[in-house]
Amino acid sequence: MELTKKKSKYSLKESLTAYIFLLPALMLAFTFIILPIFSAFVNGFTDYYLLKPDEKIFIGIDNFIRMASDTLLLRTFKNTLYFVLLVVPLQLGMALILALIVNKKIKFNGYYRMAYFAPAVLSLVVISILWSVLLNPSSGLANQILMSVGIPRQKFLTSTTQAMPTIVVISAWSGCGYQMLIFLAGLKNIENSLYEAAEIDGANSWKKFLHITIPSLRPVTMFLIITTTIQAFKLIVQPMVMTGGGPDYSTMTILQYIYEYGFRHRNVGYVSAITLVFTLFLVIVSILIKKVLKEE
Amino acid sequence: MHKKNIIKILFYIAITLLSLFFVFPMLWMIVSSFKIDEHIYRDIGTVFAFLPRMEDMTIKPYIELLSMYNIFKNMGNSLMYASLTVVFGLMVNSLAGYALAKFNFPFKDGVLLLIIALMIVPVEATILPLYMVVFRIKLINTIAGYLLPFVANVMNIFLFRQYFLSFPEELSEAARIDGLGHFKLFYKIVFPISKPIYVTIGIITFLASWNDFLWPVMALSNSDLMPVQVALNAIFSDTYNIFTSHTMAALTLVTLPVVVLYMFFQRQIVEGVARSGIK
Repeated sequence: MELTKKKSKYSLKESLTAYIFLLPALMLAFTFIILPIFSAFVNGFTDYYLLKPDEKIFIGIDNFIRMASDTLLLRTFKNTLYFVLLVVPLQLGMALILALIVNKKIKFNGYYRMAYFAPAVLSLVVISILWSVLLNPSSGLANQILMSVGIPRQKFLTSTTQAMPTIVVISAWSGCGYQMLIFLAGLKNIENSLYEAAEIDGANSWKKFLHITIPSLRPVTMFLIITTTIQAFKLIVQPMVMTGGGPDYSTMTILQYIYEYGFRHRNVGYVSAITLVFTLFLVIVSILIKKVLKEE
Repeated sequence: MHKKNIIKILFYIAITLLSLFFVFPMLWMIVSSFKIDEHIYRDIGTVFAFLPRMEDMTIKPYIELLSMYNIFKNMGNSLMYASLTVVFGLMVNSLAGYALAKFNFPFKDGVLLLIIALMIVPVEATILPLYMVVFRIKLINTIAGYLLPFVANVMNIFLFRQYFLSFPEELSEAARIDGLGHFKLFYKIVFPISKPIYVTIGIITFLASWNDFLWPVMALSNSDLMPVQVALNAIFSDTYNIFTSHTMAALTLVTLPVVVLYMFFQRQIVEGVARSGIK
């Protein structure tokens, strides 16, 4: 009885077609998304060293204990967190300001929009190389400009204190154009009648911004905060190209640690364990942000 | 009245200075690629750092760059990788998205839930285990090993599903009456009328592949297979490359195709970015 009921719910031909349609995607997703996570689980509890695969032994949670006392790993976590906490507000703040500017009825609107968006067409590698040359402490353009307005030479990427803030500014500079456009789309969606009603009630521009614009941009902002934060935690290309993680490990990020010690030094077991913790951490962060922003 | 005008002028000055902050690096990059190094550093403190002086303009940096590095070969590699990823990606992901939107089959909810759950996996974070899997199936240093991991994209499957959900049921009914099978219906009717979503996702996929850096560094160490972003970094860190003008010429060459794409597909790119929230 049960069986006939089920049979009538699905047509065999349709189910078969559906799985033929799904098969390539499911096979690829299984091999290249699920299998890697599974392999990280298996290797994360071993001392797997790629050049000596036969000597791999199960070592329980040793790798996870080792993480807690790995000062370089903790340092890269601190560096990454520092980057995230600075770049997310800076980049989104800049994006919002730019969106508000080009949303106004200004002359040459097309030029301004294009100019603010310009860095977005450059790849991260191009951006990193270009700024490395511009920021060269002795011959770079940036110091020339600073000196012409009376500011002394800066060391930028060659200083342990300036390197990470420099990468923050460059990343915000290159990424905010996209987010400007997303904010702009949000601004265009706000009903004009809301502003008109507020004007009748005698609200000034500041009040209108605070009580209409900001609340209306809420969903867009939430989306941008989550995507930018997760993206920022995965910082690697800029330090890899510009500083190699230096000077003195001051710009080395978690992902770069994973690359250096997992891929280049072949410590697969230990770094698989780090990958597990890092992945879990990112998943928790995105869920937490969603929760916090929704509750407010 | 007078005060209002001053504020207006100040506002325009401020937003113009701000716009210069965003364009000056690229401007300098392009102008410097048409100068010899001596002139680049002679002009660096002046406005001519950003404006070409006709008498100094030269394509020497490009000629010298191309005689030292075969960057066109790398661009050709990247063009091939990006095109293959777009073609196979669109096929695989749209078929899956269509099945999830339009068919009834056992475990449909389970498959959909799996796709949504996988969307939360931060791809670059799991790059080492991905390398290990590709290493195990002996595809490191092969084009297949480089491309296959990023053909299926759960975000794109989801975007396709959302798009196909809005198709009217009558469409498939009519096709069924005409005796069209599921496959024919898909490529004769669904595909042609869904061009906009294909173009949007295709362009975003192309750009992501063209700009890819970390994965090819790991998966392709063979220099014949090297894509363009990895080659750029190699040129930049090559101790034999001592000329700023050569580096700027390389950066300009690699950026040019992207600028052309933006000119033709600006709307689709913006829409694609807004949908998927990358970058």
